[in-house]
Amino acid sequence: MIEVTNLSKSFGKLHAVKNLSFSIKKGEVFGLLGPNGAGKSTAIHMMSTILSSDQGTIHIDGYDIKTASSICKTRIGVVPQEISLYDDFTAYENLLFWGQLYKIPSKELKERIASILELIGLSDRKNDLIKTYSGGMKRRINIASAILHKPKILFMDEPTVGVDPQSRNRIFEIVESLNKLGMTIVYTTHYMEEVERLCNRIAIIDDGKIVAQGTQSELQKESNVKETVEITFQTISANQGKKLKEAFPSIVQKNQVVTIVCDANKELSAIISLCNSEQLLIEDLKLNKVNLETIFLNLTGKQLRD
Amino acid sequence: MILTIFKKDLKLFFADKKGALVTFALPILLISLFAFAFGGVGGNRTAKPVQLLVVDSDLTKDSKELLLNLEALKGVKTVTKEKATAIELIIKGKYVGVLIVEKGFQDSVALGKKLPLELKYDAAREMEIGMLQSVLMQNLMTTVGKKMIQANIAASFDTKFPAAPKNIKEKAMRIMSADQAGAYSIMGKNTMEMKMTSVIKEDSKKENLGLIQAVAGTAIMMLLFSIAGIGGGLLDEKEAGTLKRLLYAPVNPTDILFGKMLAALVLSILQLTIMFVFSWIAFGLPIFKDLTALILMIITTAFAVSSFGIFLVSIAKSRQQLQGYSTIIIMLMSAIGGSMIPLFVMPEIMQKIAVISVNYWGIQGFYDIFWRSLSLSQILPKMGILVAIGLAMTLISIRLFKKNVLKMI
Repeated sequence: MIEVTNLSKSFGKLHAVKNLSFSIKKGEVFGLLGPNGAGKSTAIHMMSTILSSDQGTIHIDGYDIKTASSICKTRIGVVPQEISLYDDFTAYENLLFWGQLYKIPSKELKERIASILELIGLSDRKNDLIKTYSGGMKRRINIASAILHKPKILFMDEPTVGVDPQSRNRIFEIVESLNKLGMTIVYTTHYMEEVERLCNRIAIIDDGKIVAQGTQSELQKESNVKETVEITFQTISANQGKKLKEAFPSIVQKNQVVTIVCDANKELSAIISLCNSEQLLIEDLKLNKVNLETIFLNLTGKQLRD
Repeated sequence: MILTIFKKDLKLFFADKKGALVTFALPILLISLFAFAFGGVGGNRTAKPVQLLVVDSDLTKDSKELLLNLEALKGVKTVTKEKATAIELIIKGKYVGVLIVEKGFQDSVALGKKLPLELKYDAAREMEIGMLQSVLMQNLMTTVGKKMIQANIAASFDTKFPAAPKNIKEKAMRIMSADQAGAYSIMGKNTMEMKMTSVIKEDSKKENLGLIQAVAGTAIMMLLFSIAGIGGGLLDEKEAGTLKRLLYAPVNPTDILFGKMLAALVLSILQLTIMFVFSWIAFGLPIFKDLTALILMIITTAFAVSSFGIFLVSIAKSRQQLQGYSTIIIMLMSAIGGSMIPLFVMPEIMQKIAVISVNYWGIQGFYDIFWRSLSLSQILPKMGILVAIGLAMTLISIRLFKKNVLKMI
């Protein structure tokens, strides 16, 4: 559905995107994960035809965006990072305006607006001015404005910035519903929990480059990050430490703190039993699960929200 | 504490270069302009001669002498034209007036009768006319005054003493000529007067002149400000992100500009129409005098002004920048173009510079309709220039819009 090859873009001396290559299949929710300034929005701008690349190609639904940008524009919908709506229009007037730009016949457009308002749960507020909406409600109308023309691909550029947890969940549900309807979604964010929940495949982007891409388990494998259990004992003797090491060879001890690489689901009860039999008093126990945050940290040496 | 806050505020003020420019440079520019307009500043500080058209239908020694003496004066420069051409040029506002020396001028001088002289003038140029009238009367007195006085004395003596011998008559005439006051009293009342006729039609009342200036001048200046504001919406859209969203849609970028221009044009037409209707209701401006010409003038002025407003938007990269540019450019253009000061009180050089402003063509067009009462065909060239300004501004705006506004995303 989307084929990006060797894509590069510079702004003066700043190389915003460097040799980006990836492909996205029909019906996928593809996550572009990276910290602020990583190049995610620049990549979205190029894929959505409003920014020309310095190098490389982008194909949308088989069309080269350089030679067939008009066709590509009808295939894509974009949910921009900003709330790009007219504050002095009602939600309905906004949707009507954005829909008219795609030349959707009037009757059909009105029907679509009604069903989309239903989908995002704002039918009862359709005649209220946007400026009276909460941040989360505006975000939902922002999404609705991008899907009126039923695009095959939806680019969502950090669609949950500045919204409360409840609205965020609502947005997740909308994304999932759209995906169920067959829409391919490209989702950029720096919130790893959003990618973990929504995306089938992920590209980790940092400093304009793709650091790794694949499913979460593929990324885990690639990054070689393992789940660990971290136990802090009140005291631990050399002998007790030796016995633990014999049972769990991956153990690393630092004073009273031991870290064990293991599958917590299977091995945690055995670890605790051994501690009991050795009369080791546990002061604290921490489970370090593998997630995108740890993978990202391992791959880039940076925190996602740096 | 006060000093710290004071220093901070000064620093912030000078950090905004455009704001500082508006505060200091704009008043200096306006002072310079007004000084040129009112104070005769610049050049050699001598007033430019008034250009006066002359028509000599008498072609006699006296008429030629009158015009030669006129030409020799420092304050007047004469240009000879055919009568019809001369009147047309005055109606168009190109010259202040025409002095017509009719047939029989020399004979009237010889007989001491009322002179067939007429000054046809553009009443819109009141100050120049006043000055000209005084210069012309002085010249008339110098050139033919003595001859006319003697002719009158001779005629008066002949009437009173028909049988007096020639030597007595000559002696009496010498004595009477020496008595200036007495000599003048012998001349008939109004003999040395010159007929003064305004070329403007009778239905144009003189008091409308100020009203036309006030309405046209103010309307165009205010329109420029409001259009810059409307066009500035484009920059607001850029900041709000809706411009970017428009570009995601299958819309040609220039269509966005044209859509904005069309809105600006319609609002300009509406604003000008309301201003003229208000002037009709409140001040009696005769807007139905030539409604077709007025409608066309409103449309062409609105087109030029709205295009100019969009041009201002295209050169700015933010709303703040637009505010700085538009204040400077609109104020200067309005001062030069006659929105703030009527052009006819400005020096000739300023009147020549005025043609570079949109205000000038608009104001002159409205003068043509309301004051000069020109026909539509005579006003069309000014409308054409307004359309040309509008088209040129549109083309430049398209280029700059792509370069400045779209590239920012």
